Amino acid sequence: MIDFTLIFRILVFPGFTFILLLTLFCDWIERKIEARIQNRVGPMVAGPAGILQPLADFIKLLTKEDITPRDAKKTIFKFAPLVAFTIMVFAFCFLPIDGTSVFSTSGFSGDLIVILAFATVANFLLFLAGWASCNPYGTIGSARVLTQFLGYDIPLFLIALTPAFIAGSVQIASIASLQAGTFLPFIVLAPWAFVLFVITMQAELEKDPFDVPHSESELVGGLETEFTGAKLAFLHLTRDVQVVFGSALVVELFLGGPYGPVFFGPSWIWYTLWFVLKVIAVVLISEYITTVVARFRIDQVLSGNWRILLPAALLSLMLTVALVTWVYPLVI
Amino acid sequence: MVKKSRISPIFKRAVSHIFTKPATTKYPFVKPILPEDARCKTVYEIKSCNVIDIGTGLKDGPTVDVRSIVGSNCRVCVRDCPAAAIEIVEVEGKKRPQIRFDKCIFCHQCVESCPRGAITSSIFYELATTDKCALIQKPNPNTKETKSQ
Amino acid sequence: MSNNKIDILNVVATKLGTKVQIQPGHLSTGTIIANNGLHRDVLKTMIDADEKTGITAITGLDLGANLGVYYHIHATNAFVTIKTEVPKENPKIQTIVDIHPGSLFHELEVADLLGVIFEGNPTSGHFVLSENWPEGIYPLRKDVKANQVKLVPTPASEKIKLPENERLVKIIIGPQHPALLEPEKFAVTVDGEIVTKVEPRIGYVHRGIEKATESRTYLQDVYLVERICGICNSIHACAFVEAVEKVGKIEIPPRAKYLRVIALELNRLHSHLLTLGHAGLEIGYETLFQYFWRDREPIMDLIELTSGNRVYSSLMTVGGVRRDIKESDIPTIKSVLEDLRGKLPFYRQIYENEPTLKLRMKNVGVLKREDALKLSVVGPVARGSGVDIDVRKDEPYEAYGEIPFKEIVYTEGDTWARMNVRMDEVEESINIIKYAIDHMPTGPFRIDVARSVPAGEAVNRVEAPRGELFYYVRSNGTDMPDRVKVRTPTFANIPSFLKTAIGESIADVPANFVSLDPCFSCTDR
Repeated sequence: MIDFTLIFRILVFPGFTFILLLTLFCDWIERKIEARIQNRVGPMVAGPAGILQPLADFIKLLTKEDITPRDAKKTIFKFAPLVAFTIMVFAFCFLPIDGTSVFSTSGFSGDLIVILAFATVANFLLFLAGWASCNPYGTIGSARVLTQFLGYDIPLFLIALTPAFIAGSVQIASIASLQAGTFLPFIVLAPWAFVLFVITMQAELEKDPFDVPHSESELVGGLETEFTGAKLAFLHLTRDVQVVFGSALVVELFLGGPYGPVFFGPSWIWYTLWFVLKVIAVVLISEYITTVVARFRIDQVLSGNWRILLPAALLSLMLTVALVTWVYPLVI
Repeated sequence: MVKKSRISPIFKRAVSHIFTKPATTKYPFVKPILPEDARCKTVYEIKSCNVIDIGTGLKDGPTVDVRSIVGSNCRVCVRDCPAAAIEIVEVEGKKRPQIRFDKCIFCHQCVESCPRGAITSSIFYELATTDKCALIQKPNPNTKETKSQ
Repeated sequence: MSNNKIDILNVVATKLGTKVQIQPGHLSTGTIIANNGLHRDVLKTMIDADEKTGITAITGLDLGANLGVYYHIHATNAFVTIKTEVPKENPKIQTIVDIHPGSLFHELEVADLLGVIFEGNPTSGHFVLSENWPEGIYPLRKDVKANQVKLVPTPASEKIKLPENERLVKIIIGPQHPALLEPEKFAVTVDGEIVTKVEPRIGYVHRGIEKATESRTYLQDVYLVERICGICNSIHACAFVEAVEKVGKIEIPPRAKYLRVIALELNRLHSHLLTLGHAGLEIGYETLFQYFWRDREPIMDLIELTSGNRVYSSLMTVGGVRRDIKESDIPTIKSVLEDLRGKLPFYRQIYENEPTLKLRMKNVGVLKREDALKLSVVGPVARGSGVDIDVRKDEPYEAYGEIPFKEIVYTEGDTWARMNVRMDEVEESINIIKYAIDHMPTGPFRIDVARSVPAGEAVNRVEAPRGELFYYVRSNGTDMPDRVKVRTPTFANIPSFLKTAIGESIADVPANFVSLDPCFSCTDR
């Protein structure tokens, strides 16, 4: 028995097509906001107000020549971008977007850890892609990517557990729905964790000020140096999906997920609307931070991680556990 | 108050810039206005009559207007041009200067040097074409009608 | 800062007496003719007498049967030229690199372009010319016609000397690299992340402009010389034109001097705003880059208003300037400048308070005062390290002697200080332009001069945005110059980069490098 509803949900809404459109839309918002902060117009010609520009860039890259260097490791080089993209979209499918996740379930206990692991694997595949390109700039760039995201994964996991402690479960749907139930999003209950999580997410997504793997001044193209054509298109798309995925994770863990007031009609429309609005808000915050600061040096990035962020994450966890055990039951 | 001045002002400025008008001139939809003595294409009087179209595809586009009183044997423009962009060619039995705009550096030394004011300046600057021959300005052979100007 | 005026020529005359010939007053402060290796003693005497002695340039010229090697030395309040000659068949002369390390680049260039052999200078190979230039043909000699030289095939692979210690890695930055605007190659040897040695290779943009000036008239050369650099174009033209006027003993009207000052200071504004923005880009601060370049646009519109073109102003000519400022333009100029002045406090606060910018710029590329003096660095690089040299104050030219302005000096010596020097100079330039407009004398702005210039020679120093620019012009009575020698400020500042990069992380190399404001078109000519 073919379940047409499930196929529709996976392929169109809220699955693949919806995620792709949301990614392109968030890319456009990022570029427009960055341009406006810098006092210039962003994309403005492709489509009304330039909204089709990310799609135009994607299609343009698909039409370019696809070169594989002679010395590169062919299988990894050719398939890593596509596999990374697939894993990211797959991880996205576990988040409740219109009330339930794409698979029409409310997940399973522990799926928070699983999707964080998927994100790490996708990042690792990107590192492998740069490593397999056998170019000195690609090698150095991908080594820096590895050092950065593996280092920052540890505080990321720790801080992601903070809402789990408050909610008492490691299931994303429960964390999100608990915030809707008590009408107190966790950003209010644990604001320090929100701030730290956003900063750590900036480092994971390699945006300014943690932009080192992309720094053209030193590394030409970083791990993307040897990629052209369709492979580069998918690399860029993977990066954009990662940005939206990170924002969606922030929304689920701290801002109440898709749950919000429903005024009339079917609830899933309202849930999707709230989800999109909250994701856009987090993308705006992240892009603002990107635009107003300079870039750290690689040694400053690493020392910031091990000396500042990791102790801060541990402290935040301890503080949250203390509050949850002793303070919140009295107050709430 | 001391603490306030230690925060970089860019945080507030960035937010306020989102709501201000961008500083971009949206060329080619909006064209900038140049000062009238800007050093653009020489030897062009756009509104002058009795001129020939050299084929850049523009209807009232750039044209050559070399007055009939040009002393073609003084050759000061040829001698003074730093880029060697002017050469004397024969047009209908008369020798006239021909300016090559793919070599010209738009210094307007020829405008200054010509003792008879035959080369003048204009503010036409959109010179990009796909045909290199369109950049070679052949002089106007019809010198009789312009004598009266 | 020494207050006592040391008469350098007297000191040399006392020490060396009749062994050298002294011509006071010729070529700025004076000329000393010293052959047979005496130039080393003269230089040592001068360095012992005055710590601020340094070498500005070494001019090599073809004098027929001999090759002339002229050393141009600057000291506090004096500018002396030491002339020596060597025969063409045996062009050997002793090096001065051991006395003054900052003369290395100059000697290498003269050796490359004229074939003079400096004994004691161990470096070999082409310095400015490319690898496929044939051996034994020296372009600046009069008998070589540049367009008849046959190039040899490029050597198959470059011989890169690998470092002896296996732990060291050699990273090659350039010639094509996103951090550099123009092509140059730097081979950086790193130990882990710390830089241990930098080896430069310049000459990728060498166009042979000095040779080209010898086959064009003075009038055409003004435009040629202007195109040595795109950013500091006015100042090159002004320096050349002033040198020609010194040779021909031409006095220009006072209004022309003030107009030249306005054009030069507008050029300086444009250049400093460009560098400040570019520095932001190198450290990843794109927002600062966009803000600075947005504020640069009205300045370019001003340059277009006064001269007709946004970049190449082409205002200078022998005998004055080509255009006057219209009365109707003056309110526009003043209002644009006041707008720019109102924006400067914002940028100063960012430099004071922005934490990420200070992390990238403070204590990066520190150049101590003694090194700055030994390597003869010029411009904002020197003024950021506590050395107060500024040609506009030391040897005023044009109308700078009559216009009051401050000389900006910072003592920290790092990238942050150099950028602050440039930002404060922006404000000083605004003051200078407004003073010049308000006090402009009336009268003609140009006089007619003959096309040919009487025989003679002259030196001229001006303050370009990047430092001291030096011109030497020699005329033989016709309307084409005999020799034009240009020493650009970046040529003098690159040795300082070779010193400041050592001991720091390689990730600091772009920020360090952009702070000395490199302009390779100027360096290579």
